Amino acid sequence: MFRVLLIFYLVSVPALLLSQTVSGIVTDAQTSEPISGATVMLKGTTSGAFTDDEGRYSVTASNGDTLRFSFFGYTPYEVVVSSSSLNVSLEESEFSLDEVVVTGYGTSTIRDLTGSVSAVTSKDFNQGNMVTPENLLNGRAAGVSITTGGAPGSGSAIRIRGGSSLGASNDPLIVINGLPISNSAVGGSRSILSTINPNDIESFTILKDASATAIYGSRASNGVILITTKNGGDNLRVELNSQGGFSTLVNKVDVFSADEFRELVNEQRPDLVEKLGDANTDWQDEIYQDVFFQNHNLSIQGAPVKNVPVRVSLGITDQPGLRLTSEFKRRAASVNVNPSLLDDHLKISLNANATQELNRFASGEEGNAITWDPTQPVYDPESPFGGYFQYWEDNGDGVLNSNDLVANSPSNPVANLLQREDRSNVMRYYGNLNMEYNLHFFDALTAYVNLGMDDASAEGFVEVSEDSRVTQPNGEFLGSRSEYTNDTRNMLFDTYLGYKEEFDMVRVDATAGYSYQRFESTSYSTRELKNDLPSSEPVTNTATDLVLIGLFGRANLFFADKYLFTFSYRRDATSRFSQQNRWGNFPAAAFAWRIDEDLLPEVDVVSNLKLRLGWGITGQQDIGSAAADLYLARYIQGQPTSQYAFGNTTLPIGLPQFRNEELKWEETTTYNAGLDFGFFSNRLNGTIEVFLKESRDLLAYAAISDGSNFSNAGYQNIGSFSSQGLEFMINYDIFDPYTSDFNWNISFNTTVIRTRIDELALDQDVRVGGIGGGTGGTIQLHSVGYAPYKFYVYKQVYDESGNPIEGAYVDLNGDNIINDDDRYLHRNNQPEAQFGFQTQLSYKNFDLNFNLRANVGQYIYNNVNSSRAQYDLIQNIQVLSNLPTSVLETNFNTTPTVILSDHYIEDGSFMRLDNVNLGYSLSNLFGNRVNARVSLGAQNVFVITNYSGLDPEIFSGIDNTIYPRARTILLGLNISYQ
Amino acid sequence: MIRKHIVYLFIALGVLSSGCFNDLNVTPSDPDAFLAEDFYSTSESYRQGLAGVYANLSLTGLDGPGSSNISGIDAGTSQYGRGLWNLQVLATDEAIWTWENDPGLAEIQRSTWAASNVLLRGMYGRTMAEVAFANEYLRQTTDEKLTERGVDAGLKADIAVYRAEARFLRALAYYHMMDLFGKAAMITDEDPIGAFQAPQAERQELFTFIESELLDIEDELLAPRQNEYARADRAAAWMVLAKIYLNAEVFIGEDRYSDCIEYCEKILDSGYQLAPNYLELFMADNNDNDATVEVIFPVLSDGIVTQNYGPTTLMINSQVGSPEANGADFGVNSGGWGGALRVPSEFSDVFLNGNYDQDARNTLITEDRTQSITSISDQSTGYIIAKWSNLTSTGENGSDLGLVDTDFPMFRLADVYLMYAEANLRGGGGTKARAIELFNELRTRAGNPNTVSDIDLDLILDERLVELYWESHRRQDLVRYDRFAGGSYNWQWKGNAVNGIAIGDYRNLFPLPSESLAANPNLEQNPGY
Repeated sequence: MFRVLLIFYLVSVPALLLSQTVSGIVTDAQTSEPISGATVMLKGTTSGAFTDDEGRYSVTASNGDTLRFSFFGYTPYEVVVSSSSLNVSLEESEFSLDEVVVTGYGTSTIRDLTGSVSAVTSKDFNQGNMVTPENLLNGRAAGVSITTGGAPGSGSAIRIRGGSSLGASNDPLIVINGLPISNSAVGGSRSILSTINPNDIESFTILKDASATAIYGSRASNGVILITTKNGGDNLRVELNSQGGFSTLVNKVDVFSADEFRELVNEQRPDLVEKLGDANTDWQDEIYQDVFFQNHNLSIQGAPVKNVPVRVSLGITDQPGLRLTSEFKRRAASVNVNPSLLDDHLKISLNANATQELNRFASGEEGNAITWDPTQPVYDPESPFGGYFQYWEDNGDGVLNSNDLVANSPSNPVANLLQREDRSNVMRYYGNLNMEYNLHFFDALTAYVNLGMDDASAEGFVEVSEDSRVTQPNGEFLGSRSEYTNDTRNMLFDTYLGYKEEFDMVRVDATAGYSYQRFESTSYSTRELKNDLPSSEPVTNTATDLVLIGLFGRANLFFADKYLFTFSYRRDATSRFSQQNRWGNFPAAAFAWRIDEDLLPEVDVVSNLKLRLGWGITGQQDIGSAAADLYLARYIQGQPTSQYAFGNTTLPIGLPQFRNEELKWEETTTYNAGLDFGFFSNRLNGTIEVFLKESRDLLAYAAISDGSNFSNAGYQNIGSFSSQGLEFMINYDIFDPYTSDFNWNISFNTTVIRTRIDELALDQDVRVGGIGGGTGGTIQLHSVGYAPYKFYVYKQVYDESGNPIEGAYVDLNGDNIINDDDRYLHRNNQPEAQFGFQTQLSYKNFDLNFNLRANVGQYIYNNVNSSRAQYDLIQNIQVLSNLPTSVLETNFNTTPTVILSDHYIEDGSFMRLDNVNLGYSLSNLFGNRVNARVSLGAQNVFVITNYSGLDPEIFSGIDNTIYPRARTILLGLNISYQ
Repeated sequence: MIRKHIVYLFIALGVLSSGCFNDLNVTPSDPDAFLAEDFYSTSESYRQGLAGVYANLSLTGLDGPGSSNISGIDAGTSQYGRGLWNLQVLATDEAIWTWENDPGLAEIQRSTWAASNVLLRGMYGRTMAEVAFANEYLRQTTDEKLTERGVDAGLKADIAVYRAEARFLRALAYYHMMDLFGKAAMITDEDPIGAFQAPQAERQELFTFIESELLDIEDELLAPRQNEYARADRAAAWMVLAKIYLNAEVFIGEDRYSDCIEYCEKILDSGYQLAPNYLELFMADNNDNDATVEVIFPVLSDGIVTQNYGPTTLMINSQVGSPEANGADFGVNSGGWGGALRVPSEFSDVFLNGNYDQDARNTLITEDRTQSITSISDQSTGYIIAKWSNLTSTGENGSDLGLVDTDFPMFRLADVYLMYAEANLRGGGGTKARAIELFNELRTRAGNPNTVSDIDLDLILDERLVELYWESHRRQDLVRYDRFAGGSYNWQWKGNAVNGIAIGDYRNLFPLPSESLAANPNLEQNPGY
């Protein structure tokens, strides 16, 4: 994407060769208001003029001369003279206090904001191959962290100010054009945002503190991301945006090569030498592929009928993944119609989207590839398994079945990928109809209705080839096949009234309304089709509907434009809780003081100085669709595999389910203080902010008094949690954009968050963080007084030369027994500080931008090493197994004795160069109607880290192999016609 | 005109919206989910509800063997009999588990367990869930409820028996709590559902409760061998009574051996008989082969309809040796679980040093193996065994090569023979002649020609190992003989030493899991932990 300039000009007189008087009107692109005092310069000269009160100007210029239009707060614009009449509209520049910001149930301007709100608009989006929308803003906003997986179209862990829950969801609420979407994707889809075309997005607004989010009460504790899609304009504009490129693997886990492995076996396990093969295989090379991707978007906008702006867009994304067979394709169509009727009193906005997502999922073979014997080949012409090498031996009983496989041997990872077809086809239709009626007889009042729907359905199947070594329960090699469909739907009805009035000293902007939303989901699976055992009987699962109802009101009061107050209140009900607990009240208040207006109106250097203070309470009830009715006395009947028999009769069984009639809202109270500043006409601007969040009555999955319920644990409101943080953001235009050809913008942000568990269920620690190696092990712990998810490990003892002594741990409680009681809390999985740095340079037609991201003070449990880098594992029962080379540093032998050692906790701090993009723009081609830009970019260019594993960006802090993130080179072309 | 319509439209929408508050009252939409009253609206539901209470001994959840209604532990490992097995067998000289990565297992077999051990939490939670399920069944089947729902007299009579069985299952669960943890929260069908923090019952109170409950339901249960397979009859209640009396010195410090003899005699005279073939007791078709005559109370397993990772699936897959890969001999995948279980040298010594050369019960596989388990992670050290099987008595494979069909004999008659003999030796009465006769019957049944003319307590303990190994009795036996905690008897890896060392006496009881302790402050930790 290149910097979007909306330029409308008219050509009324044929081109003349001689110098002439060029005149026209300069207007604001957004409001169409004339701009007075704007500079119109004949480029390369000192001659020029200013616009008058009506925005009119008149200069003398020849055809072919370049005119430069500039004005304070707007992006300068240059145009080649080709006629004597030239009307120009200027786009507001990067930072303007009058920039319109979408807030919940309304809009505001940066000038009027009282809460903590970050807006990222399309001109600031990350550039490159952005497959999913959230990557447009990764690193751009303080307090927002986004960790995206390596799979194509993969979802992200998005955290605003670190989240505020332990057991309930920490995902922010995502609202698309006023329609809050569910935080769980339909099964078969990559993620909740993978079906949304990033190219259709105009802006993100991130609501961070409670005074901004409380209007969304019940779901606002983790912040809110408002996504606004692009709308049509009055003038015809066609834009084509194409990208293509290729992605490659960056890095592999260090394991022994075939020759090194032969040496290792000879040295460590001479008894097993005969099991070595003759091949030289790098299994990690074998399971990945280099891929080409492409991405095309076409949009047409204009007003076919007067006052009915329309935008239509089509997007195609083909993104194969690094893992063999992995694939993501998206076909997205979107229509926006925004008619304005009855003299602009009735505005209708229809936004409709249809997206098809086609996936092929590739199973995670990383762990298998790391450990596969490198001396064995990928292919074996003798193999009955489709020509892939497998461990097998004919047992001579005349039939080929599971008894001919070498017992407990692993399956060829390449065969696992290529012999498995796991596809889904997701259709998602979402959109909303928004009607806004400004009352004729009472101008200050506007009534709004928003109807929204989000309907996703997925069909898919998993087919494993009959040539594979996958067996059915009877031991036959029949492969496997199952099919599924999943459907989710979410329906919204909002209606509210807005009141805006200006009195002498006070402006009022108030809103009150009602919101209803219902979520439904159901899934069907055929289960295994290759046998007809009871375990293969089809199953339908339907989640209990979730209904959320809210009543809300908000008043913004602006006194003399210096003292700004916001009060909001939301009363919310959820069907998740019993009648007596289902309503929650979520108030908020904020105050902002425009210091520059009040105290420094004469100081030119200071263009903005605003102090903001906010307080509010928000709620949380999202504990997943499986926990939608815990207050009801429910029985579940067992599946056909879970029956019991009396005598010769097999009986379906019924069991009561965990029940908690006391469940209620989790509440988070947020305090926020912020200072916005801007100097030199906002060329230098920024924000510094501190916050404190306290969550109580945490919805925690915790132990419950045994025998009193139908499980030993379940959701309860126990515990409290707090986080405090500091955010800082600064943005600077190094050269004055009004005078220089050279533009250089830098932007930097940092976030520091400290979290602490203040109370847990009866002070009971909670084990979390499941690990690989063994069945059901955990490495993290929630404990009172500490950050959540701290690592819970044994303290390794080292010898004099600094080498770890296998199985030797410090007896921390001094009871002479090393057991679970000697584990201690060590290091955090979340960063102490996060940094984002972006810069954009442009000179004449060239532009260059890149962004860096860094996390400091985060630690990782290297589960790849802890569960694999031990010599005993060379023997994998009957076959050989490769090891990470880190075993040479520890010389550890036995996994169970070392797997929980703090030796495997590593510093995961990193700095990553996410994107670099170089562009060249060609403007005013073909009669000034065509603009173009070509760009060359790279993504995931480098990572600087001390972490010994593949990639330190692991949200959970537990690295048990990941889908690797690709390095990408891409070429982009953007052509617009208007 | 238009304006007016728009105003009306908005007013209409406002009115419409206020009617939606009722939508907040949701009901389950899933085809398998019911509100309690809807579930108990059919006559079959009472049998299905009772089956649920039984099934908690076998199933971990409602959607296959990977599902669980117990948290804090791997689903399969949370199985009732598996928990019992880990604590009664793995904690003793009967077995060593190779895969010590699995949380908690190393602590159990190396006798270093702490209150945070997940296997303890799993067993405590599973057992108390059994209490909760039984209580719920009793709540749902009160006379009042049944009348309210219009249940007819015939069904009511059946339900009276079902209720007695639910009380048996509750008493059984408390028996296990008393044995393993020495205390439990005492919670009955009178108590509320939710987060009720029940008072703690110590062993004495639990003993009294179990005894009085079993005596109370004795007549309501069907007569021995008159109930359907897998349902408890009167003999099952007598068995638990005989067990608590035999261990009464441990449980409550009282000599109740004569009561033990009394109840052993009732069982001996009840029609149960020794199976003709010892190994058929442990086969895939032990639910309908000749061995069923011996089994007083089985816990079901089926590779198709009752899938679980319980003790039989565990034992059969784990007794498969590595490198032997002899799974086909037991009707499972050849590699099984990769040589997960072996036996310490003290265990094999009982066979090697006793007169068990010719004995069906001696299933030791010793070839190419060292007797001593010098390294837990090396599967070729230590002998392995071949007692359990997923083959039927006619040599067919069970229905699945991983999840076995073999039922777990929680109580069987041979145990009663040895209990009688032991209670007699401990002064409980009966006759020594009968004790010796019962003892010899077991040897004869196993094809062992070495019958004896005299018995003593040590011989009984050894014979109990030989007859009942891996059937989840060993820890209780060793505690009763004062050879579990302390240092009077050590075995490999006891106390985390290759040849065993003494451990603190407090380890005769397991600690209450820390989570359970925290969730119910009325509970007090066992001394020593």
